[in-house]
Amino acid sequence: MAIPHFIAMLLFSLLVSVAFAALSKDAPRDRLIYGAKVFAAFVGVAILLGWLMNLVPR
Amino acid sequence: MAKRAVVEEIPVKTKAAEAARPALGRLVWLCVAAWAVPGLGHFLLRRKWRALILFASIIVMFLLGLTMKGLFFAAGSASYLESLGYFGELCVGVAMPIARFFGYSGGDPFFVSSDYGTAFLVAAGMLNVLAVLDTYDIAVGRKL
Repeated sequence: MAIPHFIAMLLFSLLVSVAFAALSKDAPRDRLIYGAKVFAAFVGVAILLGWLMNLVPR
Repeated sequence: MAKRAVVEEIPVKTKAAEAARPALGRLVWLCVAAWAVPGLGHFLLRRKWRALILFASIIVMFLLGLTMKGLFFAAGSASYLESLGYFGELCVGVAMPIARFFGYSGGDPFFVSSDYGTAFLVAAGMLNVLAVLDTYDIAVGRKL
């Protein structure tokens, strides 16, 4: 099954951030906050790097 | 004065941790179980929610990797990166031989999502390594 690259990146970020949150924090609320931060960081950095690479001449 | 009190506390904590430390055989069994099935080590340590979250996230990641026709690397590859990839994928436990048993041929390098699938497969193995290390830390009392 071909998954669009952006969706694949979102899925990867979601699953890794869920696992990181489960491993790093004990309380459910802390897990939720930490997982959301990691997910946002993954997606934000990926979009930023994508735009930066767009500036590189092909 | 406060510094002295802290220094005195450390040996007490260490002794308590050593007393609660499980036998080597049980530690090895827990780590092997955690490697073989993601989350099983935490389940055996009665961390059921953590076990469920880890199992679901790692297995879903592995299945997505298979869906995207990610590559299974070979052990005896001439490339160091492929050998590392093999060990990374092996870290996911029995899921890899099970996928082979059910007919997964090892991916299709010409498929459009194959590179992403391979990244998912290796990342699932790496997350399982973290889960094994977490199991060990909980078992020896370093972590709750």
